[in-house]
Amino acid sequence: MADFDKSPEPERVRPEIIKAVPVRHPGRWMTVGVLAVLVAMFVHMLVTNKAFDWSYQLDNAFRPNVIEGVRTTLTLTIGAMVLGVALGIVIAVMRLSDNPILSSVAWVYTWFFRAVPRLVLCVLFGQLGILYAEYTVGLPFTAQIADLLGVDINGTIFSVDANTFLTGLMAGLLALALSEAAYMAEIVRAGIQSVDSGQSEAASALGMSRPQIMRRVVLPQAMRVIVPPTGNETIAMLKDTSLVSAVPVTNELFFQLQAAGAHDFKPFPMLIAACCWYLFLTSFLMVGQYYLERHFAKGVSPTGKTRSRLMSLRSEH
Amino acid sequence: MTELMVKSENVHKNFGRLEVLRGIDLEVGVGEVMCIVGPSGSGKSTFLRCINHLDKINGGRLSVNGHLVGYEERNGKLYELRDKEVAAQRREIGMVFQKFNLFPHMTAVQNVMEAPCRVKGKSKADGRKRALELLERVGLSDKIGNYPSQLSGGQQQRVAIARALAMDPALMLFDEPTSALDPELVGEVLEVMKGLAADGMTMVVVTHEMGFAREVGDTLVFMDGGVIVEKGSPREVLANPQHPRTREFLSKVL
Repeated sequence: MADFDKSPEPERVRPEIIKAVPVRHPGRWMTVGVLAVLVAMFVHMLVTNKAFDWSYQLDNAFRPNVIEGVRTTLTLTIGAMVLGVALGIVIAVMRLSDNPILSSVAWVYTWFFRAVPRLVLCVLFGQLGILYAEYTVGLPFTAQIADLLGVDINGTIFSVDANTFLTGLMAGLLALALSEAAYMAEIVRAGIQSVDSGQSEAASALGMSRPQIMRRVVLPQAMRVIVPPTGNETIAMLKDTSLVSAVPVTNELFFQLQAAGAHDFKPFPMLIAACCWYLFLTSFLMVGQYYLERHFAKGVSPTGKTRSRLMSLRSEH
Repeated sequence: MTELMVKSENVHKNFGRLEVLRGIDLEVGVGEVMCIVGPSGSGKSTFLRCINHLDKINGGRLSVNGHLVGYEERNGKLYELRDKEVAAQRREIGMVFQKFNLFPHMTAVQNVMEAPCRVKGKSKADGRKRALELLERVGLSDKIGNYPSQLSGGQQQRVAIARALAMDPALMLFDEPTSALDPELVGEVLEVMKGLAADGMTMVVVTHEMGFAREVGDTLVFMDGGVIVEKGSPREVLANPQHPRTREFLSKVL
C-alpha cells in the first residue's frame, strides 16, 4: 500500500525527439512528373489554340442578354429547388404516413416523376395548353351536375388563360420543380428514417404533438443527412435549367450563349464560355452548401467535439 | 388507504403472436416508489411503456391518476383517444430512457425548455428560468450550454431527468436509467433519483440496481415471462425470496 505513496524517482530526462530518415516514395515523384507534363500540355493548348478565341469570349460572354440568361437560370434554379424541397417534404411525410391512401399517392407521384426524363417533362409542360385553353379553380364537376339537374350553377372561383399562366418560364419551372420534388421526397424520407426512433419516443413522452415532433425534433436532425444530397441536387438543377430551352424558354443562359455563338459562326468559344459560367455558378453554390452543412451539424460536428475537448483542457489548467 | 396513481388490472400485451404481458395486476400509490426487476424479456420495460401509451395494451385495464390510458369509456364502450388527447395524458407522466434520448441538436438547457415552451406555451424566459433551476437540482449548473455530445453518460441522463421534470409530471417512469452507463457514473444518477423519491415523487423504476431498490423502493416487483412472480417490500423480497424463480434470479445478480 505504501508503494503508491512513495514520492516518484528523481525526474527522468525527457528523451530527444526522434529524427529518422523518412521512407522515400519514388512512385509519387514520378506521378507528379507525368501529371505536371500533362497539365503543361493542356495549358499550352488553352493558350495557343486559336479555336478558343478567348478575346471573342471575353467580349461576348457578358452581353446583356447573356447576363439576362444568368438571371433566368438562377431564378429557375432557386424557384425549382424551393418548390421541389417544400413539396418533397410533404410527399416524404405522406409516404411515411400510417394512412395507406396517402402513402400510395406519394409512391405513385415519385414513381411517375422519377420515370419520365426532365427533357420530356419540359417539352410536355410546354404543350399543356393543348389540354385546356383555360385553367379554372372551383368546385369540381359543377357543369355536369348543372346539366343533370337542369339548373344553372357556377362553381368557378377563378380562372386563368393557359397562355398567360403557362408561359414558357412557368411551364419550365413547374416541370423542373415537380420532377425535383420526387427526388427530394426520397432524400427527405431517407433523412427522416435515419433519425433514431428513441428521439420521437422521447418527444412524444413529453407530450409533444406529431407536427411538433416532426418540426422541432426529427427534421432538424434529418437535415444532417438531407443537406449534402440536396446540395448535389441544387447543382444538378442549375445545369438542368438548360433543358428549359425545349419548352421553349429562350432567355436562359445556355441558349443565349449558343445563339450568340451561332450568330457569329463561333460556336466553340461560346461552348467554352458556357462551361466557365456553369463552373463559376456551381462553385458559388458549393460555398452555400458548406455553410448549410456546418449549421445543421450543430451538436454532432467534429468541430464541436474538438471545441469541447479544448474547453475541458483549458479548465484543467 | 393512499390514493392510487397507477392501477393495472389483468393487462395483456402481445407483439404479433408473442405474448409479452400475460395479466399484470398492480397498484402504485401516490408518493410510492416501485422498483420492477426481472430478467431481460420478462416484459418489465414493455409494461412501463404501456403506462404512457408508447405501447398499446391488448387486454385488461390500465389507468393513471384515475384515467384510462389511451382510451375513454362511454356507455360501457371503449373509444380510442385522439393523438392530441394521448399527448395531453402524457404530459402528466415523465419518462427517462435507458439510452437518454436527449435531442442532440439542442443544448442542455434547450432540451429542458423545449417541451414546457412548445407544449405548455410557457414563455421563453419562464421556461429558461425553470430549466436552470432543474439543471441546478441535478447538479449541472455549469453545463447548461453544452450539447449532449459534450456530456458524459451520467450527465446526459441527469439532463434527461431534468427534461422530464420540466413538465411537472405527477408520475415518473424510469426505464433502466443506469444500464447504459459506465459503472463509475451510475452513482450520480441514482443520487438524483433518491432526491426525487425523498421529495415525494411517485416513481416506477425498471432497474437492475438492487441496492437502490432496497434503499429507496417502497415496493419491489419481480417479473418473469410476462407475469408478476413476486411482490413485496424490497428488504423482504431481496433477503427472503419466496418463489424459486425469484431465488434463482437474485442468486445470479446479487
